[in-house]
Amino acid sequence: MAVSRRGARPRFTLLLLVLTSVTLLTLDFRGGDGALSGFRSGAREVLSPLQGIAGAVTRPLGDIVQGVIHRGDLEAENAQLRAQLEEARGAAAEAEDAQRERRALLDIQDLEFAGDIPNVPARVISSTPSNFELAVVIDRGTDHGIAENMPVVSGAGLVGRITEVSSNRSVVRLLTDLTFSVGVRFTSSGDVGVATGRGRNDPMRVDLVDAATAVGRHELVVTSGLQQSAYPAGSPVGRVDSAKSVPGEDEKRVTVRPLVDLKRLAFVKVLQWSPS
Amino acid sequence: MESAVMPRWLRAGIVVLVGLVLHTSVFPQLRIAEVRPDVMLLLAVLGGLAAGPQVGAVFGFACGLAVDLLLQTPLGLSALTFSLIGYGVGAFQGVLLRSALWLTPAVAAAASAIGVLAFALVGAVLGQAHLITPTVFSVMALVAVLNAVLALPAARAVTWALQEDDPT
Repeated sequence: MAVSRRGARPRFTLLLLVLTSVTLLTLDFRGGDGALSGFRSGAREVLSPLQGIAGAVTRPLGDIVQGVIHRGDLEAENAQLRAQLEEARGAAAEAEDAQRERRALLDIQDLEFAGDIPNVPARVISSTPSNFELAVVIDRGTDHGIAENMPVVSGAGLVGRITEVSSNRSVVRLLTDLTFSVGVRFTSSGDVGVATGRGRNDPMRVDLVDAATAVGRHELVVTSGLQQSAYPAGSPVGRVDSAKSVPGEDEKRVTVRPLVDLKRLAFVKVLQWSPS
Repeated sequence: MESAVMPRWLRAGIVVLVGLVLHTSVFPQLRIAEVRPDVMLLLAVLGGLAAGPQVGAVFGFACGLAVDLLLQTPLGLSALTFSLIGYGVGAFQGVLLRSALWLTPAVAAAASAIGVLAFALVGAVLGQAHLITPTVFSVMALVAVLNAVLALPAARAVTWALQEDDPT
């Protein structure tokens, strides 16, 4: 009996904590932009300077550790990059011509692409503290005209979208996150599909691609920008990593490797764009 | 000693805050296979180990709530999971017959793995189905190893933070 009395108080404390957690969860599920959201934004604002200092001080150590861990990968990557550079030189002239053609087509069709969309440059200051979320924090927020759901791009293409904003900070959910989806279009056929993130190391999966669609390996995939899409049309997303038809299935199995190196993001641009 | 003039809640708060800053700024750079140590979970585990189930649960709740503020998962998910882990480790600590240096990293590894799985499972029950993926087991294993490596220095900080206030 003595044992049960000793154990009663910790159990009661635990019960209170569980009830508090459940209350918080309930409020969070029902809350939307209430006090809890403000509390989270405030915490992020307060911690950011400390994170910045600690991160800057320890970054060299992190670089050393990553260098040791990924030495083999870096050597392989260097060789691959050298090969790609040679290819890129050869393709540059061709690309210039294609660009001229593209500009001419745009003029004819009077389309408005990302180039005309106002944007906010931002620096990536940290990643979110979870092994289950793929997101980064940037140093711009509502004070700079950023709002939730705005698309985020880098020079290479789509990075993700804004999921949380405070006055001077925003969280960008990366396109490889498991909860991220974007409508895409294959540049050669014009067919569309929906690309979904599958984690840091895996290519995105593209669903709803008709089995008859011709998909080329390394083909460029861009945002479809269909009606009410959360992203403007034509932003590069990635290149086709694999595409195969399975007998008996209506859809082609396609994966796309993002163009942006999401592991080494330093600067991004937030497009001040919303579906209209 | 400093702990004599500083109340326990303040020491605990300092350790949680320092842990949170390290967790969000330093340890993301020390990742292996894109997995980083879960310092706040480690603190919750060590809280239970150092101070028993009741204080372990409260300290785990504080650690979880602190990290919840920076995540996009529902607020309270980490708090719920970490308080259960703190309580569980504290209860387990009560039945340990001996104390050895290797016990701290061993318990940290095992409890961290359980904590990662519990977070994913509770999250999935609450509608965060994406938390359950094939990679969850590799995350469990790597977090267990990384947290075990950090366990001994972190245990010193947690023991300092959670030792009882001097009644005099």
